[in-house]
Amino acid sequence: MRRSALAAALALTFTLLAGCGGGGQSAGSADPAEPVVVRYGISNAWDQLMPYNSVSGSNYARIVYDKIYDRLAYVHADGTLSPRAAESWESADGGYAVLFHLDPEAAFHDGAPVTAEHWVETIRLMTDPACPMLGRATFSVLTGTDENGAALPGEEPGAEAVDAHTLKLTFKDPTAPEDFLLDKNRELYVLPTHLLEGVDPAEVLDLDLWDAPIGSGPCVFVEQLPGSRLTLAANEDYQLGAPGFDQLTITVMDKANLLPAMISGDLDYYAFGGSVSAEDRAAAEQNGLEVEEGTVPNTFFELMLNGERIPDARIRRAIELALDKELLCQQATGGQGSVTYSSISPASPYAGWAAEGEGRDLEEATALLEEAGYDGRTYVLACTSNRSGLAALIQQNLAEAGISLSIQTVDSATMFSGMADGVYDMGIASHTPGALPLWFVESRFAENNNIFHVQDLEPYAALIDAIQSASSQEEKGPLVGELEALLAQERPFIPLWFGRGLHVQSPTVENIDYASSSFSNENVWEWVKH
Amino acid sequence: MSRYIRRRLVTAIPVFFGITLLVFLLMDLAPGSAAALAGEGAAGAQDQALVEQRLGLDQPFPVRYLSWLADLFRGDLGESVYFGAPVSRLIAQRLGPTLLLVGTGVLLAVVVAVPLGVLAAWRPRSRWDSLSNLFTVAGSAVPGFFLSLAAIYLFAVKLQWLPASGMYDGGGQGSLPDLLRHLALPAAVVGLTNVGGILKQVRTACLEVMGEDYIMTARAKGLGEGAVVIRHCLRTALIPVLTAVLTHIPHLLGGSVVVERIFGWPGMGSLLFSAINGRDHTVVMGVTVVMALAVLATGILLDLVYGLVDARVGYGRV
Repeated sequence: MRRSALAAALALTFTLLAGCGGGGQSAGSADPAEPVVVRYGISNAWDQLMPYNSVSGSNYARIVYDKIYDRLAYVHADGTLSPRAAESWESADGGYAVLFHLDPEAAFHDGAPVTAEHWVETIRLMTDPACPMLGRATFSVLTGTDENGAALPGEEPGAEAVDAHTLKLTFKDPTAPEDFLLDKNRELYVLPTHLLEGVDPAEVLDLDLWDAPIGSGPCVFVEQLPGSRLTLAANEDYQLGAPGFDQLTITVMDKANLLPAMISGDLDYYAFGGSVSAEDRAAAEQNGLEVEEGTVPNTFFELMLNGERIPDARIRRAIELALDKELLCQQATGGQGSVTYSSISPASPYAGWAAEGEGRDLEEATALLEEAGYDGRTYVLACTSNRSGLAALIQQNLAEAGISLSIQTVDSATMFSGMADGVYDMGIASHTPGALPLWFVESRFAENNNIFHVQDLEPYAALIDAIQSASSQEEKGPLVGELEALLAQERPFIPLWFGRGLHVQSPTVENIDYASSSFSNENVWEWVKH
Repeated sequence: MSRYIRRRLVTAIPVFFGITLLVFLLMDLAPGSAAALAGEGAAGAQDQALVEQRLGLDQPFPVRYLSWLADLFRGDLGESVYFGAPVSRLIAQRLGPTLLLVGTGVLLAVVVAVPLGVLAAWRPRSRWDSLSNLFTVAGSAVPGFFLSLAAIYLFAVKLQWLPASGMYDGGGQGSLPDLLRHLALPAAVVGLTNVGGILKQVRTACLEVMGEDYIMTARAKGLGEGAVVIRHCLRTALIPVLTAVLTHIPHLLGGSVVVERIFGWPGMGSLLFSAINGRDHTVVMGVTVVMALAVLATGILLDLVYGLVDARVGYGRV
C-alpha cells in the first residue's frame, strides 16, 4: 500500500513538473499575447558590449555586436556584399578613397538618425591616441594614422562627411571598396556619438552607456547577465526591415549541449550557422533536423611552427612532407574539407595564386632531414584537448619519417602564449578564413606579433607592403604568387586544410543565411519565427 | 564558547590570506594571460600592452597582490577586464541562481541519503542496503558531465519532458513553474552526484551506533524499532551526517562548474569557468574570496552545531 502510494506520488510530481509551462518549445509562440522569442545558443561568452573595447576580439563578441550595432555592409559567404548601413559604395580619388552612400532611413535605437558625421566622429574618437581602445589597427589603413591606427599629431584620420549621408574614407594605399569591406567590415561599427559630445576620449570606454548600449543595428539591447545571457528586442525601425520576432535571447551553454538543446526544441538556433561536426550530423538527422552542407570554407587549420626552435627551413618542409594531410583532413572534417598548401581560401579571387603541393612524400622528407642534419630531438606539439586525436595522428605521421614528437594538451590561452613565448615547437590552431590574400599573413608577420618566430621578417614585410600598395587585383596577383612561393620555401607555418560547415537548420526560424555567419554577420532582420 | 569563536576567527585570518596568496600565485604562474589571448591570439603588441596595463600585469607580483589586498580592504573586488563590470556585481548576479541550483541539489541528496542510509544500517545486507550501495557507487563513480548529458538525452531529447538548458524559457524572467522545470534536471544531477558521499556517512555512522550497548538496552526495554532508530540511533549519528551536509556549503557558493556550464545555468560555476579560460584574474580572485570565506565560515559553523546537537561536545575549557 505504502509502496504504491509512493509510486503514485512520484508519478504525479513528475507529471506536474513536466506539464508546467508546456513542452520544450516556447510557450510564447503559441500565445499571441506573449512575445515571440528566438532562443539563440552560443558556446562562448561575448565580453564587453562596447565594440571597440573587446579584450577577446573574438568572433563570439563580434556576432553579438553585429546585432546591436550597424555595419556598412553585409558580407555573404561567397564574398559578395549587400547594403546595410551603406546603400551603395564607389571608388574615388583614383582608388585612394571610397564613397559610402549611407541609408537615410538608418536610425539609432534612441531615434536619432544615423549620419555620415556619426561615422566620422566614431573614427575620429577611436583613432584619438588618448582613447585606450583595443583593435585600433583596424584604422591604420586610413590616411592621417600611424601603423597602429592612432591619429598622427596635428592630422585628422581619413574620414570625411561629404554630406549628411555620404561618408568618404581615404586610404594610404589604393583600395577597392570590396577589398576594404571584406577586410574591415566586421570591425567597423557606428557609435551614437551624439551621446558622447564633450566626453574626454580617455574616458569614453568607461561610460555607463556601454552597460546598456544604444546602437543602430537590427536588435535593441534589453538586459544582460554578463557572460551568461543577453536579451535583445527586435528593432522595428531597422532600415532593412524589422526582424520577424519580438525578442532574441542569447544564452551561453556548453558546446556539448547545443545540439541536444536544439533537438529538444529548447533552442531555435545556435551561433555561427548552427555548425556541427561530422559526427554530430548523424545525430541531428536521426532526430529529424535537416543538415545543410556549407559550400564555402569556414575554417582554416594550420600547424604553427616555432622558427627559432626549428630554424632550418628544410626540417620545416620535411615536417610538411611527412604529414598525411588527406588523412588528417578526413579525420577532422569527416569529408567536409579540402587539403591546402596555402592560407588563401579556395573561395578567394586570389585562389589561383595560392601555393600548391604534391602530397605526402616520406622519401623526400627523410632526405631533407638528413640533408639538414636533424639530430633526432623531440619536438613539443601543443594542442587543446579536443584536438588530441589529431595530434596523435600527426605524431604517427612524423614518427614514420623519423621525427620524434611529444604532445602537450593545454588550453588555448596556454597554447597561444606558449607559442608566442617560444615554449612550444608546434601548435594546432584553426581560424575563420577571409577572402583577401593577406587575411592570415598580414597580422602574423609583423615585428609586434611574430608568433612563428621568423628570424628575418624583412622579405615578408616587403611583399606584404607591395601587395597592399598594389591598386588592382591584376597587379596584386603576381605579388601574392611571390609571397606564396616564399612561404612554401620557408614554411614558417604549415597550412593543413579548409573546412566547410555543416549547418543544422532551425525547425522554427526561417530565412537564416547559415553560411554567411562565418563572416560574423547574421541576417537577423530577415529571420522569421513561426 | 565566545572565547572559542574568537580564537577560531583569529586563526581563520591567516588561513584566509594564505588561500588568497596561493590562488593569486597560481593564477600568476598559469601560462597565458588575457593580454596573450587578446584578438584571439593575434593582437598587436600595442593592444597587448594596453590589456597588460589594465590588468596591472606590467607591475611586479608583490605590488599587484598588495594592491589587490588594499582594494579588498576597501570592499572593492576590482573590475573584470573581460566583462568590464565590477566583480562584486558579477558575483551578486550569480549567487542567487547558484544557491538555488546547488541548494536544491543538496536538499534532494539529503532527502534521499538520510532515510536510505538509516534503512541500510538498520537492515544490513537487505534490499535497502543494496540500493544504498548502488547510490554510493554510482554517485561517486559516475562523473557529473556524463550524468548531465545522459539526463539531457533521456529527459530532454528522447522524452521531451524537461528543457535541456537555461533558467527560463524566454530569457531572463519567467514564471515559477517555468523555473522549476528548468531546475529539475541540473538539480537532480547535483543531487545524484552528492548523494553517495552523504549516504555513506549516514550508513557508517548509524551502523556504528546500532552496535552500541544503549541501543540494545533500549530494545530490551521494549522500545519500538522506530523510536530506537530515530530517537537514539539517528540523533547520535547526526554529527557525521551534519559534517557531510555542511561541508557542501562552500559548493553552494562556488557553484557546480560542470553542471552549470552544460545546462547553461547562469551561476558562479559558469562565471568561474569563463574567468579561468579568459585569464580574468580579478574575477577568479573574487570568486576565491567568496569560497574561502565560505569554507572558513563552514568550519566555525560546524563546531557550533556540534555543540548544539551533542551535549558531549563542550567548548568551556577550550
